[in-house]
Amino acid sequence: MKVRRAWVLWLALWMFPLQAQEKVLHVAFSASETGFDPVQTSDLNTAAVEQQLFESLLTYDYLARPAKLVPRLAAALPSVSGQGRIWTFTLKKGVYFAPDPVFQGRKREVTATDVVYTLMRFMDPKNRSPYKFLLEGKIEGLDERADRARVTGHFDYDTPVAGLTVLDPWHVRVHLKTTDYDFGHAMAQPIMGIVAREVIEAYAGDTASHPVGTGPYRLGQWLRSARIELIRNPNYRSEVWHFSPGKDPENQRLVAQMEGKTLPQIDRIDIQIIEEAQSAWLSFGKGELDILGLPAQFSPLALSGDQLRPEWVRRGIHLDRIVEPAIAYYFINQQDPLLGGMTPARIALRRAIFLAMNDGEMMRVIDKGQAIRTAYPIPPGVAGADAQYQSLLNYDPELANQLLDAYGYRRDRTGYRLQPDGKPLEVQYTTGLSSQDRELDEVMKKSLDRIGLRFSSNKLKFPDIIRAERQCQVQFRLSAWIADYPDGDNFMQLWYGPHTHENNASCYQDPEWDRLYEQTLVLPDSPRRDALYHRLARRLELYGVTKVSTSALRNVLSQPWVLGYRAHPILPSVWNYLDVEERHDATP
Amino acid sequence: MTQIYSSRRSENAWSLALRRLWRDPVGRFSLGVVMCYLVLVGMVLAGWLGARWNDPVAVNYAPPTWCASVANRVTLPAGEAWDRSSVIPLYGWTDPLEPLWSEARAAAQRIQPEPVSYRLTLLFGADKWGRDVGQKVLKGTQTSVWVGLVAAFVATFIGTVLGALAGYYGRWVDDLLNGFYGVLTSIPYLLLVFAVAAVFQQKGVGTLILILGLTGWTGVFRLVRAEYLKHRTREYVLAAGALGASHGRRVWVHILPNVSHVILVQFSQNLVGFIKSEVILSFLGFGVPVSSVSWGSMLNEAQNELILGKWWQLGVTTVAMAIFVTALSLLTDALRDALDPRLNS
Amino acid sequence: MSGLLFLVRRLGQALLTLLGVILLVFVLFNWVGGDPALILAGKMASAQDLANVRHQLGLDRPLWQQFLDFVGQVLRGDYGESWATHEPVSAIFRSRLGPSLTLLIPMLVLETLVAIAVALLVAALRGSWLDQGVRMVSTVAMSISLLVYIIVGQYVFAYLWGWFPVKGWGDSVLTNLRIYALLPVLLGLFVSVAPSIRLYRSFILEEIDQDFVRTARAKGLSEVRILFVHVLRNAAIPIVTNILMGLPGLLTGAFLLERFFAIPGIGREIILAVERSDFPLIKAITVYVAMATLAVNLLGDLCYRWLDPRVRLE
Repeated sequence: MKVRRAWVLWLALWMFPLQAQEKVLHVAFSASETGFDPVQTSDLNTAAVEQQLFESLLTYDYLARPAKLVPRLAAALPSVSGQGRIWTFTLKKGVYFAPDPVFQGRKREVTATDVVYTLMRFMDPKNRSPYKFLLEGKIEGLDERADRARVTGHFDYDTPVAGLTVLDPWHVRVHLKTTDYDFGHAMAQPIMGIVAREVIEAYAGDTASHPVGTGPYRLGQWLRSARIELIRNPNYRSEVWHFSPGKDPENQRLVAQMEGKTLPQIDRIDIQIIEEAQSAWLSFGKGELDILGLPAQFSPLALSGDQLRPEWVRRGIHLDRIVEPAIAYYFINQQDPLLGGMTPARIALRRAIFLAMNDGEMMRVIDKGQAIRTAYPIPPGVAGADAQYQSLLNYDPELANQLLDAYGYRRDRTGYRLQPDGKPLEVQYTTGLSSQDRELDEVMKKSLDRIGLRFSSNKLKFPDIIRAERQCQVQFRLSAWIADYPDGDNFMQLWYGPHTHENNASCYQDPEWDRLYEQTLVLPDSPRRDALYHRLARRLELYGVTKVSTSALRNVLSQPWVLGYRAHPILPSVWNYLDVEERHDATP
Repeated sequence: MTQIYSSRRSENAWSLALRRLWRDPVGRFSLGVVMCYLVLVGMVLAGWLGARWNDPVAVNYAPPTWCASVANRVTLPAGEAWDRSSVIPLYGWTDPLEPLWSEARAAAQRIQPEPVSYRLTLLFGADKWGRDVGQKVLKGTQTSVWVGLVAAFVATFIGTVLGALAGYYGRWVDDLLNGFYGVLTSIPYLLLVFAVAAVFQQKGVGTLILILGLTGWTGVFRLVRAEYLKHRTREYVLAAGALGASHGRRVWVHILPNVSHVILVQFSQNLVGFIKSEVILSFLGFGVPVSSVSWGSMLNEAQNELILGKWWQLGVTTVAMAIFVTALSLLTDALRDALDPRLNS
Repeated sequence: MSGLLFLVRRLGQALLTLLGVILLVFVLFNWVGGDPALILAGKMASAQDLANVRHQLGLDRPLWQQFLDFVGQVLRGDYGESWATHEPVSAIFRSRLGPSLTLLIPMLVLETLVAIAVALLVAALRGSWLDQGVRMVSTVAMSISLLVYIIVGQYVFAYLWGWFPVKGWGDSVLTNLRIYALLPVLLGLFVSVAPSIRLYRSFILEEIDQDFVRTARAKGLSEVRILFVHVLRNAAIPIVTNILMGLPGLLTGAFLLERFFAIPGIGREIILAVERSDFPLIKAITVYVAMATLAVNLLGDLCYRWLDPRVRLE
């Protein structure tokens, strides 16, 4: 026993060297980041870091649910006129970029020109921005500028664009081509964080490792795909923690902890990339990590039902639980030679396959209970959601069997069904290489066995899956979509005909559906739009295009010494709103 | 004449070696264990054992019978009943499948699903689907040993043929094959696996065998080549040549039996290696498909189960694998000792 | 063959092999590998965006031209930047080499020391119960998958008993050696030491049976002196060769340890690169490791020739 204690002490001394009371937050990512040039970012982990390094014009309120737009670099919410076509933003005054050698020791203030430059960058073909779609086809004159750049090989940042007007150093006006009530959401993305032109040009070619923004933190040490360190930005303006708690008692606790503190409270954020869930979980259990998104496979250890287990409560661990603004949905390729097409027999086959998908078992065994059944394409917490929507395609293998019998899918001697014309029938499910994909394969095979359909799985690396989807070669897959911004359109566009070969992986091209969808584009979030969305959702089920299955639950655990934590459905990171106390170690 | 000479020579060597192997208690014991496993594999292949590995017979994670005092926390949910007679609004569309859809619904409504009973404990416990770990490990043993055997055969075959050609013919054949060997052995194994896997788009047992076989032949090649280099100038080979035996005959009929001990040892060494590699390949996602189960897939499945307190799948698989691999390694050693030509003389 | 001629010939061979490696890697990953544009262009990309990305990466040019570029990169030692993270590839390799070596050098040193010590002991006591016992234990130890050691070791030693941190990596080599590398090194040792013991035992036994040992005994030298000075000196050649040959493979072979213990090493980087179709990185790592392998082989041959003039290489 004594020997062991000595060990622990020795290790503890080495692990936690005596440091001046610096506040540090230890967190982990399960997948690696890419690089910190906002314009080139496409993944959530990178966005989480950029949320702290850069600031966009708008953001979402920390506590308000559903997510509510509030100003960040802007002094107030934009004024919108011309039926949602003219957006005027006013900037906060006295906002400075983080210090960088490029500024030669001067403090560099943010102005409207920086906003225009930041937006223009997204359309520069050289930057090949994955989030170009947020601006593409929207701003007057900007697409034409991009077209010219594609010809000349040089994007002209110097001549003003019709749609982006600098009124004075603190006012910028954006003219949109068409009505778009979602433009505010676009301006709240962390990747829309404002950058300085001289910095980008000075580090041309390596902007990803020289992020200079106005955010509460700046990049410290960075070992790619392994460790990211964020340190407090000395130039950060004075901001105070002030949010309205509403009626939620949990929020009131947060307000009691944090109200009036200057931001940010934490000096250093230490982010580690830990791919193996086991390592992350054990690490949190030992107190090496302060906040952890609970991996679903370990939820039986931490939760009973939707409550934290008593042994964790005793340790003072805190649980925060929200529904992800995301859907898991099955789709079948409408152009597939075996399953596609609009004949009643094919529609029946597709609907039978969807009927055989056992959502309950999926949630119980794969998600370990950490998901809810969502039948509507728009998940909870996103504008346009409908929790009451009734699916046409709930799990029902008996009905599926009846349907297949009725349409002439007879069984052969082995008990598997044939096509009505007697040719063999096999459903090919496309899946990845991870062990979780293997579990999904097992559920899928069991489900299809129940209705006598032969199953095969096509295992591909992730980029190959995307390629196959874009070429309309994926027959059947369980896919997922997470909200880029909390509006229903971000989900409904997944089945829009012209998006075939882009992200309409079901390759569904239906003029009737497309016509209705186009009507929704010019409507704000309203009962009229909801009515159209309901028609669209039902039509997807009637023709056996898609079945929306589940929305995952996000369980976040935080150590007792973490103050002010609340999981946010849209913001990729909220570290700037937190504080840590001196840790009173209660590890076993 | 020469043929009789050489084959008698090797026959003698073989029976001598076998006798020596049998005299060694470790050799005898490990041979017994390996034989038992092979019989088991045969029985699973024939469908007499482990055929029902895929049936959910127990509740999820049913514990092993002999430690059933551990409270089983898994509760089965109530059946997912949903009322087929409820009217679902169509929001103004007409259903393209009417009237058959309504008829099917009515027909399905009349079917009463039979209740199924599940066991609460099993001898070796159950996995997350309630499948018997005992049955699974039988099936897994069959798959892993079978994959290992076939892959070892492929690797040994490639290695022997190429090694014999390189060693016997020498010159440009040797330069070419040796160069190829050099290229393959200087690429990191992990990348070689990914590369070979990328060539074979279809994943499955066949791909697994090819990945193992195509990346694992280099060791055999090196040793067989060295043996042929030695043997091609031996008297008996030169004599056979003088008597008019063709090159092919000299390579495959005269020399091969005299280097077969090297090949046999390499074969069993490869088998050990491949069975262990299969676990790693499963971890990387190149394992057997879901229609089958192997030691690798079981260990990967059991990865998280240990922390959840469901240690039985990990334990049973590890033990089953450790016994076989240990026995096989010991047998390989015993074989090597028994076949060592230096001890022959 | 004179020493110089030998060296030149072996160098030529090594260069040819390297060319083979380059060709193979190029064909496999450019021809059958995934399309990186699909990841880089993002989930909303249009066909035009994809074409744009491919054009910028030079993927739309003829294959032979891409191959020549690749050869040029190898010659210059500059592989450009990673497609996924825009970091210069050489920088990635350099930053990953340290952690990998921090893990592997102690593992190798410990393994060699333990293996030689045990091998000497059991070789001297050949056939005794100790010899048999060590043989049994090491055979059983190496028959269990590294994956199982890691899962169980991390859970029991690091979490339940708290002897080590669960995962992590620091900045200073000393911290890493003292804290973070301990458990991975020990677990790796568990698997790798057993085969080495058996191999070294056979090397030593081979020497023990030689005439010079009998002569030394006849001269009345002590058994310990014979073992440690005479036998070990002679067995050193195959042992050193074995260690050298295994070195490059180790570099990428520790990916399981690196993943579970969140160590930013090369093995982990390879998996990541393949998942992202990050060709510049894949090519660079392969060529670097192949170069290391070839260099080590060359070195081994030269040592052999130098230490043992009898050896003639075909």
